[in-house]
Amino acid sequence: MERIHSLYLHVPFCAWVCKYCDFNAYAVLEGLIPPYVDALSREIDTAGAELPIGPLDTVFIGGGTPSLLTSAQVRRILDQVRAIGLASGAEVTLEANPSNVTGENVDGWLEAGVNRLSVGVQSLRPDALRFLERLHSGSDAIAAIRTARAGGFANVNADLLYGVPGVNLAGWLETLEAVLAEGVQHLSAYELTVESTTRLGQEVRTGLVRMPDADDQLEQYWAAAARLEAAAYAHYEISNWARPGFACRHNLAAWNYQPYVGRGAGAHSMFRLEDGSTERRWNLKGPHAYIRRIGELAEALDGHEVLSPERARGEAAMIGVRLLGGTEAAGDFPAQRKQLVGAGLLIEAEGQVRLTRRGVELANQVGAAFLH
Amino acid sequence: MSTPTHLTRAISVIAHVDHGKTTLSDRLLEFTGTVAPRDMVEQVLDQLDLERERGITIKAQAVRMLYKADDGNTYQINLIDTPGHVDFSYEVSRALAACDGAILVVDASQGIEAQTLANVHQALDHHLKIIPVVNKIDLQQANPELVREEIEKVIGLPAESVIFASARQGIGTKEILEAVVREVPPPTGDSNAPLQALIFDAKFDAYRGVVTYVRVLEGTLRPGMRIQMMQTGKSFEVDEVGIFRPERTPVEDLSAGEVGYLIANIRNVRDSRVGDTVTDEARPAAEPLPGYRHVTPMVFAGLFPTDTEQYQQLKDALEKLQLNDAALVYEPETSAALGFGFRCGFLGLLHMEIVQERLEREFNLTLLGTAPTVEYRVKLRDGTEVPVDNPDRLPDPGEIEAISEPMVLATIVVPSTYVGNMMELSQERRGQFLNMEYEPGDRVVITYRMPLAEIIHDYYDQLKSRSKGYASLDYELVGFEEANLVKLDVLVAGSPVDALSMIVDRSKAQQQGRRLAEKLKTLIPRQLFEVPIQAAIGGKIVARETVPAMRKDVTAKCYGGDVTRKRKLLEKQKEGKKRLKRVGNVEIPQEAFMAVLSLD
Repeated sequence: MERIHSLYLHVPFCAWVCKYCDFNAYAVLEGLIPPYVDALSREIDTAGAELPIGPLDTVFIGGGTPSLLTSAQVRRILDQVRAIGLASGAEVTLEANPSNVTGENVDGWLEAGVNRLSVGVQSLRPDALRFLERLHSGSDAIAAIRTARAGGFANVNADLLYGVPGVNLAGWLETLEAVLAEGVQHLSAYELTVESTTRLGQEVRTGLVRMPDADDQLEQYWAAAARLEAAAYAHYEISNWARPGFACRHNLAAWNYQPYVGRGAGAHSMFRLEDGSTERRWNLKGPHAYIRRIGELAEALDGHEVLSPERARGEAAMIGVRLLGGTEAAGDFPAQRKQLVGAGLLIEAEGQVRLTRRGVELANQVGAAFLH
Repeated sequence: MSTPTHLTRAISVIAHVDHGKTTLSDRLLEFTGTVAPRDMVEQVLDQLDLERERGITIKAQAVRMLYKADDGNTYQINLIDTPGHVDFSYEVSRALAACDGAILVVDASQGIEAQTLANVHQALDHHLKIIPVVNKIDLQQANPELVREEIEKVIGLPAESVIFASARQGIGTKEILEAVVREVPPPTGDSNAPLQALIFDAKFDAYRGVVTYVRVLEGTLRPGMRIQMMQTGKSFEVDEVGIFRPERTPVEDLSAGEVGYLIANIRNVRDSRVGDTVTDEARPAAEPLPGYRHVTPMVFAGLFPTDTEQYQQLKDALEKLQLNDAALVYEPETSAALGFGFRCGFLGLLHMEIVQERLEREFNLTLLGTAPTVEYRVKLRDGTEVPVDNPDRLPDPGEIEAISEPMVLATIVVPSTYVGNMMELSQERRGQFLNMEYEPGDRVVITYRMPLAEIIHDYYDQLKSRSKGYASLDYELVGFEEANLVKLDVLVAGSPVDALSMIVDRSKAQQQGRRLAEKLKTLIPRQLFEVPIQAAIGGKIVARETVPAMRKDVTAKCYGGDVTRKRKLLEKQKEGKKRLKRVGNVEIPQEAFMAVLSLD
């Protein structure tokens, strides 16, 4: 099995589950945090002892809202990570809600070993924040970025949402502009996506909410891309931009189809086997069940799948084409490449392929072409 | 086992579709102990999975029951369950010809419908004793008294002879059996006369060859005999004769009056045609039984594999299916748009659907069926006449002298409120009004002479929807008639798609073309590029629509935990695409090829 240098840790707790969110996240379970941290530490320590893990180059603590943990809890978890081998210079990311980014927490996170902070800004407009059910204000979010930078974070990401009902192109660009003014090193801009199982999904289904049409969404997307390019951010993945040297190494590893281990409720792991096949395993999703199972067995596997080498190559290409700098992952699919180039969705250069502008808009069509 | 002739009965159950024919048959089997209740699968007699799922009978089935009647005698009752759909009306008529009586089932809430009448007329043509049964009396909407009155007034059967029943609840089963043994006459044939056995169905058994369902009317059929099929002239040696209980059970012989099967190493159902007469080669009957008709297909459609590599599999599958379905005909067809496939002929739309579904299910094929069409007779200027069952093969207008199309006599039964709607619809469909009769129970029987082509184009669904589901329809072919018809062509992305061509009435062609283009626009999914759709008559474009290009298909997030889900989603999308047929650069769904069927 290929050596694993990436670790994802999931913290499934939130003060409030926003109406558009379909992640593995739970509100009003804060009381479970202490036993959860115990369980997570135990899983990091003992689960998959047979796996070739480390030294770890990237660690990503995502959620949920990991910033609901005290800095002592974060430290305890990262101490456990160091025990299994953390490379010097490793990228250690923590996702934070603006409300939790206080000077004290920032100090504590840095001390614990976090060196990249991803702030969930989403929008700066009051109407959008209210629509999205975010509990913080726009100024809270700006303050959070400033506190993080002032406290010593040299690698800060801001997550933004576009295509929010009620926010027009100018409103969206206003938020973008204000966030750029704070000098973040990395920016993720996601289209607000309607997932059927969320409250937003229900509101759209029942006609209570009308989403902007595809033209409006794409207009906001490409306008942001142009603005970010002008500000010297490289557009390296469909929804991600970074200043030189600040692309998220953790996510890049996954997009380059490198293996990773996931720990915590609902976390996924991906392994590359010798014969070229891919194995994925995932944990129980519910925090209660997760804690109980870890208590009993020190692991919390819920399911797994193995993809044949052929299907694994297709999956690698499906993911790889999302990297806008180009990928070699589509190398084994000459016929599909030719057809996609012919359709104006891909460009071939130096053994790599990359999406055209139209290809970005239809990236799923491109990705699907490599699947069976 | 042998039952004296005077204690033998042969009956059929006839009904409009859904009036409970099969459930009643099941109850009779149960009541007579032919099938133990614990072995009773709902609808024992419907043997194809498809029949059970759709709740319809496609093939006739036959079974022998023994019933100890109140008079102390044990009767042998042969029950023949007939197909309940207008597509199979010839099969019904042959099954009836093999009977002496019929149980007429009428739904207590629906009353008499078009097929009820058609069935009764057929039964009377065969001089059958009819036992009227009003079924489903347990339903809330049931009005058995009214239906009984209808039966007396419309059909002329005395109200006091009507039995009230609920097949679902087993009410009335015994009364029906008593009426059968009391009312239905025993067979009159002579077991020593030259053999005359009527074939009313046949099915193919992979191990034994064709199993021929027969009723022996005269003489005796036994293994070892050399028999001759009087219509086809072919002869075979009988290996086995038997009865259905309901599984096949060999017996020593089948004598006059008995119903059963014969196996004679027949390799193809074509050699065992429904309606043919089996006789003894050594001592043949003077004449075949009357009423034989060579069954000809009424509607035609192309069947193409969506994956061109499945052509050979489709060919093999059709061959196998045809062994069991004498009414199915096919020949190779090549379409510029769809590639290699087969032009198939069917008895009707249901038959077509069933064949396509069986091919897909039983042979694991993914097929694309083109819109059904009728067979036209085209008289050319050089005096010759050619049959045309594929709109794309219509000769050049310059060569055509005249086109004739098949006509049917359509009988509609409907509550009087909807008469206007029915007439309006039938007029729109080029129907020629023939007659209208008011019957008791607020029922009107309307007859029209109409082109068959109009019937297969959504007429029945329209009839149903414009009568809130109350109208019923029956039709029979009555000949050919000249009509002013033209070919309507469709171009997708600039290229003609032969499989979308249709033959239409000239006066309606332009309007049909516009509707077809509009409809196709809604059915062809957005592609990576814009797709123009045009309708043309004789090279002149009469309508144009455009399917806009797909605007956006991109997922915002694809992180580690999302990959499996995303891959499955895309795989599912892709699986869906396999049902689309690639014509040039455009992916066209099956529904688009059926669009021509419902342009109203």
